[in-house]
Amino acid sequence: MHTQDFPQLASIEAIEQGFESYGYICSPKIATAVYLAFQLRKPILVEGPPGVGKTELAKTTALLLDVPLIRLQCYEGLDEAKALYEWKYGKQLLYTQILKEKLGDLLKGAQGLAESVDRLHQFGDTFYSEEFLEPRPLLKAMQQERGAILLIDEVDKSDYEFESLLLEILSDYQVSIPEIGTVQAQVSPMVFLTSNNTRDISDALKRRCLHLYIPFPSVELEERIVLSRVPDIDQQLRHQLVEFVHSLRDLDLKKSPAISETIDWARSLLLLHARELDAQVIHSTLNVLLKFEDDINTAESALRDLLPRHAHG
Amino acid sequence: MPMADVAPSQAMQRHLVNFISLLRSHDVRVSPAETLDAMDVAATLGYARRERLRDGLAAALAKTPAEEAVFHHCFARFFDRSLADFARTREERSAEGDAEGDAVGTDAVGTYAVSTDAASTDAATENHRASVEQLLDEASRDDAALAELLATPLLQQLRNNDSTALNLALAEAAASIDLSQIRMFTQKGQFTRRMLDAMGEEQLRRTLARLEQQGSPALEPLRRYRDILREQVRDYVEQHYLLQAEGQNARFMDDLLSRTRLSHLEQRYLHRVHELVRQMARKLAERHARKRRVYRRGKLDMGRTLRRGIANDGILFHTHWKRVQKTKPQLLAICDVSGSVAAYAKFLLLFLYSLQDVLPKVRSFAFSSHLGEVSDLFAQYPVDKAIELVNWRYGGATDYGRSLQDFARLALEDINSSTTVIVLGDARNNNGDPQLEIMRSIYQRSRRVIWLNPESRRAWGTGDSEMLRYLSTCHFAAECNNLTQLERIVDQLLKLNR
Repeated sequence: MHTQDFPQLASIEAIEQGFESYGYICSPKIATAVYLAFQLRKPILVEGPPGVGKTELAKTTALLLDVPLIRLQCYEGLDEAKALYEWKYGKQLLYTQILKEKLGDLLKGAQGLAESVDRLHQFGDTFYSEEFLEPRPLLKAMQQERGAILLIDEVDKSDYEFESLLLEILSDYQVSIPEIGTVQAQVSPMVFLTSNNTRDISDALKRRCLHLYIPFPSVELEERIVLSRVPDIDQQLRHQLVEFVHSLRDLDLKKSPAISETIDWARSLLLLHARELDAQVIHSTLNVLLKFEDDINTAESALRDLLPRHAHG
Repeated sequence: MPMADVAPSQAMQRHLVNFISLLRSHDVRVSPAETLDAMDVAATLGYARRERLRDGLAAALAKTPAEEAVFHHCFARFFDRSLADFARTREERSAEGDAEGDAVGTDAVGTYAVSTDAASTDAATENHRASVEQLLDEASRDDAALAELLATPLLQQLRNNDSTALNLALAEAAASIDLSQIRMFTQKGQFTRRMLDAMGEEQLRRTLARLEQQGSPALEPLRRYRDILREQVRDYVEQHYLLQAEGQNARFMDDLLSRTRLSHLEQRYLHRVHELVRQMARKLAERHARKRRVYRRGKLDMGRTLRRGIANDGILFHTHWKRVQKTKPQLLAICDVSGSVAAYAKFLLLFLYSLQDVLPKVRSFAFSSHLGEVSDLFAQYPVDKAIELVNWRYGGATDYGRSLQDFARLALEDINSSTTVIVLGDARNNNGDPQLEIMRSIYQRSRRVIWLNPESRRAWGTGDSEMLRYLSTCHFAAECNNLTQLERIVDQLLKLNR
């Protein structure tokens, strides 16, 4: 992908503004990483706690550039047949059936075995050709004419073997298919890999990527995010709820509430016509923020400490 | 961005390489390829905006959140160093600071007053400076050597207070004498001297000595410039020393700690050792965690089977089966926590804890007079609490016989040909029944029995040590009393497990 085709990514400020117009409020750090990835043609490995907008980043970039988003969800046991390409076996079988029927016509009048084989060789080898190739996400991303956003989601869930498979694709934007040869991307896609850190990604893969760690946002940034997603909410309530979520993140919880949960909570409060955060409101809506019974109990017992600050704040 | 189009200067590139070597000394692994990436990043972003450059370089160089934290620390120390201030000597600066401080103290709302004060001070110094410069110029008129000195770039920059050029000169001098090699605080004086020489201070020094003999009026202003220069160079060297030595010392410390006998480690280094053990366990687990694939009949790989069949007219002669992952061998670890090994027990438990953290199938047991499984404790509690609980529950006088009976009751049934049993203990049984036959049945059922003894090999079998008798029931026994030995043994052990 080139800058002249995509003025949206021409500068870091342009990226920040572009993202904002699609409702994705990002820190300069994120915009810088996207800018560099685009300019240097390198994949980005995005890490961070669940729900901080890792996947959303790739989606928004696709929206911004108006190119297709091709997504590959990783899981244990994912192999090249599902990620890269597969042969269309059914069609290949049919092809051999047809070939068999036509074989008599083709070889009519041939003298001896040698001539028959010669005649056979005159036909192009269509059996392993692109016509019978079923492209899977990785190959598909490289065949897009205008370029694409390739999102390799939760790469930490895949096996080590799969990581090695990615190396060739990520450094040279090409795929080797033994039966055909090397397929080179016309326009190299922009690649986002996300990881939740359930295991360490191999050094070889990390070395090929820019590394972007997205932490939970600051209060100020999160308020802007809530504003952009839930514009109708009262300003003071917005401030209170974001502060409250931040103090929850300081507690020792199994799963801290993420940005998406803050937004859901803001929506719930709006639906309930809440004016202000008080114990009653929080008590009845805490399950939107926290997904474990233990966490809810922990938060409720700490509510007394968390609340006064906000009730009067 | 005007900077973006200009290729980074040689000096900036060298600066960046220095920064990367600094990162390396702080345990951030940066490969040559990543160094090139960093150059690309710097060329793309330009050097004009520091924060942007920081974010960009972080993306290229730091690959984990921990490394990113180190990166930010180093970046701040390396790039945000405030440029050296050549305008005045330290005394002058502190005098001014006091004056302003007083002004603020006496007049709380007097920002206006302060600023006028500052302005008037500035004007005064400006006047003073002009007269001093005049003095120097006059003196140089009848003194050829002085005139020559004043014509050198160094003096010109000092007199014009050209801080950009002076800072550049500092950086160049530092590069020419390899200031980044500074390691010990004893080297500071020597490096300061060499820095000054590299900047051409010698000429200034000689002239000063001569002027002093003559009692020239130019002596004072010239001496002031020398003082400024010396102070700045000294500060520069000091900063460099702090930056370089920090990383080196931490690494030196780690090396030392991993070779010290565990019982000799002081309490205050415990947290550092804890971190080392965790790193080690993690490293080992990573190195050996690569899962093997084996064939297991059960699931047909339709694609491959069909493809193979094509050659045979679509008749499926050869079947292909999906590969599945084999579960990894089981590890049972038994740890002695009695008084005789108290100093080691903590580390062995620490290691067990870390190992259980990183390897999926470890069952841990602790014993002294009796034995119990502690896997759950390890899984439930943070490390300090868990170790404390284990010591409290199972600490006491050693009874290997009874503990082995307990172990047999708890786990003997689960021991099979894929199980490795590790025993951590000194085999000192207070002359009790060693229950060798239980050890033997463990030996026969398991894949491997490994005994790690904190005592040195010479002490085995002396006094109440049953080590020599237990030795016959082990596949492998080794002395293990420092981290390096522990790492080596566990590495071997994991290799054997494959």
